[in-house]
Amino acid sequence: MSRQILPVADKAQVRAYARRLMVKYPKQLSLALALHGLAALTGLAGPALLGGLVQAVADGEHDANVDTIALAIAGFVIAQGILTRFAVYASSRLGEKVLAELRQEFVDRVLALPLSTVERAGSGDLITRTSRDVDSLSRTVRHAVPEILIALVTGVFMIGALFVIGPLMLLPSLLAAPLLWISTRWYLNRSGPAYLREGAAYANLTEGLAQTVEGARTVEALGLADRRRDRTDDDIRESYAAERYSLSLRTVWFPSVEMGYVIPVVATLFIGGLFYTQGWVTLFQVTAGTLYVQQLVDPLDRLLSWIDELQVGSASMARLLGVANVPDDRAPSGASPDGDAIRAEDVRYAYREGHDVLHGIDLDVRPGERLAMVGPSGAGKSTLGRLLAGIHGPRTGAVTVGGASLIELPLGELRGQVALVTQEHHVFKGTLRDNVLIGRPEADDDAVRRALEAVDAWEWAEKLGLDAEVGSGGVSVSPAQAQQLALARLVLADPHTLVLDEATSLIDPRQARHLERSLAAVLDGRTVIAIAHRLYTAHDADRVAVVEDGRISELGSHEELVEAGGPYAALWESWRR
Amino acid sequence: MWLGITYAILWWTTQALIPAVIGFGVDALIGRDTGELARWSAVLFGLGAAQALTGVLRHRCAVYTWISSAYTTVQLTSRQATRLGATLPKRLSTGEVVSVGNSDIAHIGNAMDIILRGAGAAVAVVVVSVIMVSASLPLGLLVVIGVPLMALAISPLLRPLHRRQHAHRDLQGDLATRAGDIVAGLRVLRGIGGEQVFADRYRAESQRTRAAGVRVASVESLLEGAQVLLPGLLIACVTWLGARFALAGDLSAGELVSFYGYAVFLIAPLRTLTEAADKLTKGVVASKRVVRILSLEPEITGGAGAVRHGDLRDEESGVVLREGSVTALAAATPEEASAIADRLGRYSDGRVTLGGVPLADLSVAAVREHILVADNAAALFAGVLREELDVRGRGDVEAAVHAACADDIVDALPDGLDTHVAEAGREFSGGQQQRLRLARALTADPEILILVEPTSAVDAHTEARIAERLAKARAGRATLVVTTSPLVLDRADHVFYVEDGRTAAEGTHRELLTASTAYRATVTRGEDR
Repeated sequence: MSRQILPVADKAQVRAYARRLMVKYPKQLSLALALHGLAALTGLAGPALLGGLVQAVADGEHDANVDTIALAIAGFVIAQGILTRFAVYASSRLGEKVLAELRQEFVDRVLALPLSTVERAGSGDLITRTSRDVDSLSRTVRHAVPEILIALVTGVFMIGALFVIGPLMLLPSLLAAPLLWISTRWYLNRSGPAYLREGAAYANLTEGLAQTVEGARTVEALGLADRRRDRTDDDIRESYAAERYSLSLRTVWFPSVEMGYVIPVVATLFIGGLFYTQGWVTLFQVTAGTLYVQQLVDPLDRLLSWIDELQVGSASMARLLGVANVPDDRAPSGASPDGDAIRAEDVRYAYREGHDVLHGIDLDVRPGERLAMVGPSGAGKSTLGRLLAGIHGPRTGAVTVGGASLIELPLGELRGQVALVTQEHHVFKGTLRDNVLIGRPEADDDAVRRALEAVDAWEWAEKLGLDAEVGSGGVSVSPAQAQQLALARLVLADPHTLVLDEATSLIDPRQARHLERSLAAVLDGRTVIAIAHRLYTAHDADRVAVVEDGRISELGSHEELVEAGGPYAALWESWRR
Repeated sequence: MWLGITYAILWWTTQALIPAVIGFGVDALIGRDTGELARWSAVLFGLGAAQALTGVLRHRCAVYTWISSAYTTVQLTSRQATRLGATLPKRLSTGEVVSVGNSDIAHIGNAMDIILRGAGAAVAVVVVSVIMVSASLPLGLLVVIGVPLMALAISPLLRPLHRRQHAHRDLQGDLATRAGDIVAGLRVLRGIGGEQVFADRYRAESQRTRAAGVRVASVESLLEGAQVLLPGLLIACVTWLGARFALAGDLSAGELVSFYGYAVFLIAPLRTLTEAADKLTKGVVASKRVVRILSLEPEITGGAGAVRHGDLRDEESGVVLREGSVTALAAATPEEASAIADRLGRYSDGRVTLGGVPLADLSVAAVREHILVADNAAALFAGVLREELDVRGRGDVEAAVHAACADDIVDALPDGLDTHVAEAGREFSGGQQQRLRLARALTADPEILILVEPTSAVDAHTEARIAERLAKARAGRATLVVTTSPLVLDRADHVFYVEDGRTAAEGTHRELLTASTAYRATVTRGEDR
């Protein structure tokens, strides 16, 4: 299970949201409810008419109008069929509408997540919410909610009908109420966690299989077969335990509920019969009553079997709504930059309180220069890069562009100033063109082409065609090509300052150098801060900053640093030889 | 399984008998026979209790059948995957095998379950038919013929329903992929913009999915309506005919109620039988796919020879790994290098000898134990980090983590090496994964270690440190590093430069820099020009 990083909405929020949804489309909702109500009402005619027939037969009324009654039954059935059709259609339409809105709102919320959260949180939690929670909410909206509504409407009408034929006939059914109530409460209190556990165990099992399959070669290389086998067996054991537990809950609940269904039928027949012999009720009332009670089983059963789905759905809803609870990290102050110079002053930053990873960094980035940052992993280069790109604010100190604090610029404004490209390479599902256009949606094909040329990608891109579908399910694009696309996007977006964090790390070393040179030509006049792991990037830059242990230990041109004979010079020496 | 079928039959039969008993009860009522009424009420209660009991027993059997078939399938598939090993990605798409876990096991489980329920339903249909026909031939025939006819009348709706459901499911799948795509690329989007484009696109697809959902609902609602209407009409006919017979004295009033009950009851088992046809078909398709996967054999088979110590030599390229030394391989193209690594590790056939004995004569298991090829495609599994790094369970994890310069990754984890990590791709960056893979290979400490581009995604400082520490960590054992990094090449005892699949030059890094222009061009990336 991935760690949960994003917040979850509380019960009150979920309830308020659900209420808002219910009343959002009052017309459609009342139409659907009215149709279901009418359908249920017509469904009540059958048993009543049959009860009348039985009475007539018993009374030996040979002139009973059998044909008319049968025709009436048929008529009500036809009406019920037609009403049911439209009722189901109306409620499904409403359900689909609400569902579409729910998922769209969720995606909007995801797309509005603060930059710092997105950069910090792994995507695991968000992926789970997007896939599993949206799915489970769909099930709830599409099936559970309408089924429960129908069951409620039908049930209420049936009880009403029982009341109409004779309030006395209601009494026997009440015998089952305590049994149903107690056993269902008992079950529902336990079933939620039980099914969550079952689902998690099952997901673990299939995920384990997926890992074994996808890593089959690694399994062979490292002799992991036994271990993977054990993992599968463990997962099965856990899944089995979870299944057994929820089954044991059902083993108690199912028979109790079934008895709860049977008791009213028997009681109505027997007690009703006794009432009849006492002359308190008529034969018609007993027969129709028994049939109603038997038919009441269906809505009751629907209601009970969907209720725990409702619980699961509201848990999912809480996670989906929770995404909106992330506080905004930018506080636009209205300050506007005067010039393009980026400046860091006594910058300190900590991911965990008390553990600074940057210790008072001062850096003046000259507009239009190429600044390379080198240094060992974990020294704080990437963190500094993110601060310089305005994604996080420093703990103390300030990062400014033209005198305005980066963190106080609204997002749209910030993007016009500084952009960050990391080694993370994601190819979006869509055409090749779409993938580049993200940088500037209104650009034409010519601009796209120039951007791709600037990153040495035009050759293969032309071969594929700009209309080629790439990304998940499309033509596969190598990680190196994906990095080229990321850079092409940036070229198209054209901010005055670019922070490249290992942005060419996956490209073949020889090509990478060529790419960086052609990119430099296109970006002439732009400020480029390149976090690099290859030293030629430093060699080609105007200035090099060596970052070690959260400090800039050396700063100067390549020649100056080599001259100085410090750590950079030593590294360069070993690289050069 | 047989037990399950028995319970299913009992369960259905008790349900089938209930209308009859209610009928007897009504007759007793009409006769104002309290004793008789009490008896039939007791029988009804007994039947209800029996139904509840057999129902839950049947359900338990069904669940056990379902999960045992699902578990067996997962177990077999997972075992087969480990048996096939490196052959699997060559012969099957991994998605196909993964889908066994995601959908096939459910289809197989459903098929097993429906066999139980279907058998019971078939018996129930027969029982009810016999009862009805013996009670009243014409009425019985009406129901026996009418109910299947009704089922048939609904069937034309099923095809368009399935088609639309299919289309809807596809769209839903696409929509889910789109959402996943947005999440996976969220950093990019939030970094340089384009959210609105993606929001609009998602909205459009979501609305299309909604329209497809409504199309499904329109057929579904027709079906729901028909499922009320058709049985209802049949019930009306039964009631009409039954009432006439009853008035004529051929049928008791109770029997009339029973017939009404039978007609209502029969709908359920017939639905189960239709469902059975569908689920069995899907189950067969799923089983065929599983059987196909299970019938594959590993491509590489070996002899029975025991491993001998000595140099590992690839005749084709001329690359040799000497015992106790660090050898480097720089190739003009990455493809050549990985082909050689595959041959040396016996992932493909080739003329390779170990201590003079052809590798093909040795047992594959022994070769894997002796030679480890670690490349960047290698998977990092979820689990406690220490265990995942120490795959052979006897290595020095801390030392290996240090040698791979991965200390900072471990330090950043809440419980260090004892942290449970999810799938690596979600937790670590490319460079971090690479160092963890290296740490794992070093912990395994094989006699011969072949590392393919182990430092391609780490920075120069770290690369220099790794190169230095690697030699120490591998002291006394044979190591081949496939790389074009001068920092690493400089630390190797001996370097092979391969062009067009053959060794073009060999020597130390510095010798080659002066002796071979092609080599220099490859490793310095045109630095001098």
